[in-house]
Amino acid sequence: MRDRTDAVFSALADATRREVIRTLSQQGPSTATGLAANLPVTRQAVSKHLNALADAGLVTATRRGREKLYQLSPRPLTDAVSWMADLGARWDDRLAALRDHVTALARRRH
Amino acid sequence: MEDVIVEAIEREVTVPAPPDEVWPVVTDSRQVSAWFGADVQLDPRPGGRAVFRWPDGAERHAVVETVEPARRLAFRWLPFQRTAEGHTVTTPSTRVEIMLDAVPAGTRVRVVERRAFSLQARGRRRSGNELLAAARA
Repeated sequence: MRDRTDAVFSALADATRREVIRTLSQQGPSTATGLAANLPVTRQAVSKHLNALADAGLVTATRRGREKLYQLSPRPLTDAVSWMADLGARWDDRLAALRDHVTALARRRH
Repeated sequence: MEDVIVEAIEREVTVPAPPDEVWPVVTDSRQVSAWFGADVQLDPRPGGRAVFRWPDGAERHAVVETVEPARRLAFRWLPFQRTAEGHTVTTPSTRVEIMLDAVPAGTRVRVVERRAFSLQARGRRRSGNELLAAARA
């Protein structure tokens, strides 16, 4: 899962891919052609980004005739977000302990 | 879907001592161990190694990257960790920056942890055990 989190953040580092995700979440399952119609990029570029998103597990593809239908797979995104939340919570705990430690040191000095 | 793309977390706390007194708190192994939640062995020099051992048996390694006394310490977590169960697993590589600023009440301690790499290596990937062996070499 941690490996997957890394792949998710890499996939999301690109603004167009984030736009692809947003569009997919708004219009539901779509083909590359359907997505390109709503994005300022070519169908080929959308296909490339969809492949990157699929590699990261963020979208899944099912065949529909000559094209593939892509849909969001939100679980990896949720995992990535909770990983960030855990990280923040750990630093909250550490910094609270650091403050207590320095406060105790300061009292001893004075 | 809201925009949930966060690649860094940032936290801060103000402590009642000047930066030159807080500096050993974030660089001296014994003192870091008092607040970090882990037993820490830290060599606070650029390129210095840091080992963090948690009470549950988990272990992570880091490399010190930036040392500006009484101002800034940065280290990079190596991209693997040993779990409490003794497995070695890969983990996102992040860089931690701890910054000290003098404020009227003492020192503002600011921590930023952000992903160190934006692209995942596509080539041969080393296993967690290989990475651990390399880190210990």
